[in-house]
Amino acid sequence: MPEVDMEELIENLHQCRRCGICRNAVYETVGFDGVCPVWRCSNGFETDFMRGKMLVALALLDGRLKRTSENLESIYRCSLCGNCTEICGAEFSPSETLETVRQVLSDFPIDIRDAIADRIAETGTPYVLGTGTKRDWVSELDFDIPVSGKTVYFAGCTSSQKLKNVARSTARLLHKSGVDFTVLEEEPCCGSVLLRMGKAAQALENAQAFADRIKDSGAETVVVSCAGCMRTLTRDFPIGLGLELPEVVHIVDYAASLISEEKISPKPLDMKIKVTYHDPCHLGRELGVFDSPRIILQSIPGVELVEMEPNRNQALCCGAGGGLRSFDSDLAKNIAADRIETAMVTGASVVVTACPFCEDNLHSGAQLANRLIEVADVVELLERSLT
Amino acid sequence: MDSEIIDNLRDIAGAEFVSTREDVLLAYSSSASMGIDPVQPGAVVRPSNADEVAAILRIADEHGIPVTIRAGGTSLQGEVTPKADGLVVELMRLNKIELFKDLRTVRVGAGVTFGELDKFLSEHDLWLPVSPESALACTVAGNVAVNGSGPGSSFAGCIGELVMGLEIVLPNSQVIQTGSEANPNAPGPFLRYAFGPDITGIFIGSLGSLGVITSVSVKVFKRMEHFDYNTYGFDSHEQAEKFLVELKDNDVNMLMASLYEGPTLEFFMDMVGEEFGIPPMEWPHRTVSMTIGRVRKDVLESDAKLAREICEKMGGRVIGIVELPKGEWDGRFWTFVRCSYVHPWAWQVVYHHQAPTNVHRSVEEITKIMDKYAFLGHTAGFASGHSSMNMYPQFYWDPVDEEERKKVVGALKELAGNLYKAGAVPFKLASYWDGLMEGTETYMELLRRLKETIDPNGIMNKGVLGGI
Repeated sequence: MPEVDMEELIENLHQCRRCGICRNAVYETVGFDGVCPVWRCSNGFETDFMRGKMLVALALLDGRLKRTSENLESIYRCSLCGNCTEICGAEFSPSETLETVRQVLSDFPIDIRDAIADRIAETGTPYVLGTGTKRDWVSELDFDIPVSGKTVYFAGCTSSQKLKNVARSTARLLHKSGVDFTVLEEEPCCGSVLLRMGKAAQALENAQAFADRIKDSGAETVVVSCAGCMRTLTRDFPIGLGLELPEVVHIVDYAASLISEEKISPKPLDMKIKVTYHDPCHLGRELGVFDSPRIILQSIPGVELVEMEPNRNQALCCGAGGGLRSFDSDLAKNIAADRIETAMVTGASVVVTACPFCEDNLHSGAQLANRLIEVADVVELLERSLT
Repeated sequence: MDSEIIDNLRDIAGAEFVSTREDVLLAYSSSASMGIDPVQPGAVVRPSNADEVAAILRIADEHGIPVTIRAGGTSLQGEVTPKADGLVVELMRLNKIELFKDLRTVRVGAGVTFGELDKFLSEHDLWLPVSPESALACTVAGNVAVNGSGPGSSFAGCIGELVMGLEIVLPNSQVIQTGSEANPNAPGPFLRYAFGPDITGIFIGSLGSLGVITSVSVKVFKRMEHFDYNTYGFDSHEQAEKFLVELKDNDVNMLMASLYEGPTLEFFMDMVGEEFGIPPMEWPHRTVSMTIGRVRKDVLESDAKLAREICEKMGGRVIGIVELPKGEWDGRFWTFVRCSYVHPWAWQVVYHHQAPTNVHRSVEEITKIMDKYAFLGHTAGFASGHSSMNMYPQFYWDPVDEEERKKVVGALKELAGNLYKAGAVPFKLASYWDGLMEGTETYMELLRRLKETIDPNGIMNKGVLGGI
């Protein structure tokens, strides 16, 4: 990770003209129906959306505002979802700039961030989940998966440790499709959370080890389930960290290809269901993957896809990203509950997504909102249709 | 701010909606007014209804605490810059919308933005024809407080023309309702000029210095579906200005008619030309970019034909580039906000109105100032009512160059004085007009006495309304 160019950072922060459209813009013909999920689901002060965060960041950097835990709070109370960047007319990305500000402030101690960073360094995962390995989920399948090969399924920390159903469904899907694939013996962490929380130096160290691990595996293609892993491996690794990896593909793109190549043919589900799709920020807004998950859903007989408003580029975040789920868990869950309410408006009985981190938080949101709606991964639904 | 006062504010609005945090106060120390120095308040409170606002003002009045009312925080003239250690009352939680379909009116809380209202009204095939260029962040009530104008004003005038009534909390904490809604038995807002003098009008454009507008009732109209976009070129400013007068005389329903001088349009094209898909061309001395709108298609076609005929009668020519007016109109909720980012400079604007036949005088004075102080800028205007043009000269500086900022901001007062002598009038009576408006002494004195009567302790946004 290159050193932060402070002059460029200050110039970028000054680019904010304080117009405020990053707060709650509703522009029906363009597709915006609110912008900042943090402002929407918090007490709504200026520091709860990007305009105020830019002002606070400038003051923290130039010394007008003392660096205290309280004064730094708004810098971390952001999911970096990028919807503000989507609507902003400036020639800089507010969300990426805020991430750079976090990098500059990374030496200031913040307990939760530092604990996660330490855990990744020590255990290779941000989660505290007792004993066992990240590969334990494989033993719950009725087929074996080798530990080396040309196509690596990289489940990621969340799928392999918290939402194992995503990993299992993905593996079954690949198996049923006749894909020869492997799951690494000791899967490393991609370091997404380190980057998003500003721990760039540690992220670089972690990424170098990750790249070596993939290289050693002989992989030619890496298939991932997590939108955060996908963004990190396909954007941060080559651009920010200067590291090359073999081809990295998200499972929704991979599966959509399997469908179009007629290697799999979804069959009708037991009953017709109405499904709505939540666009993960990393996968949609940042990487432009909007169609594949929708193609998959529409290929399953009996699935009716209904869209939430807003969706695609203007979709509101689930609240989990940018370290927010760790930094302010209640706020992250409130944002997820808000997104669940939007899903309820569509009349869908299932909200699906393509990121286990989103799925995990949406589960929390549904619980918080006390809503009976199933939350699932696109791949789970697809795999169900193949049985 | 005294801790007992803060506790009282917390009791009123809820502890979670009152802040004295250093970072929060810093974020409320400025708005979109890039040329105004920030001032840190002592506290920020976010009430949810008029009763809470009234209780807050009661405390402020009792303790002589300066109050600054804020909603979207989009003001460009320093209207919501707080007083040192004062209280910012932020109204975004007042977000109710109530439609009176049979009365063709809607009542909106002070926290409702134009974008939110437009979405609501479109579900009923209605619209509010006037919106500011900051419509996605600016609230209707905030716009009424500055009597703003924008796209649609060429047809419907400034926002004040559409107001049917206001709910206002006075500095002494009394809540008043103006217009027909003052009668609790009335079915809703159907007449502004009820109960004698136009009390509503006193608060329109008052810049938060006389009371707090907590809700606004405005006229709404059937949504127009038929539009004609065109550009008209002229070799002299007289032809272009006369064209605009003739259009009004012939009841051509222009929704947005912008008048550009050649160099300004070139500059504007640098900002939005590519986005709008406008082919490169040499623009004439003056260009009118116009969107005509009608509910009925046949009437629209008649208007469009007449506009072309009038243009040629005035000695002009129909340019035929539709992308410019279409881009202005279709993107009216965000185009100008977004294009302000196309260049890397911060900016300050000196809003004023001119008579259509006198637009060239504003252009002359603005050009003189730019030449004299050697800074970058431009001006253009749009028809903003029965017979007025809203001029919005913008001046730019490097946001990290404090010296340049001071130079630009320092020139604004001189420009305002020159514009006034050239027949222009301010509609946002920003503080820099103070002392420049020769011949208005008795008017300003009456305004001062009005302020002293309504706000005897001077707590509400003191000094902002033309220095009062």
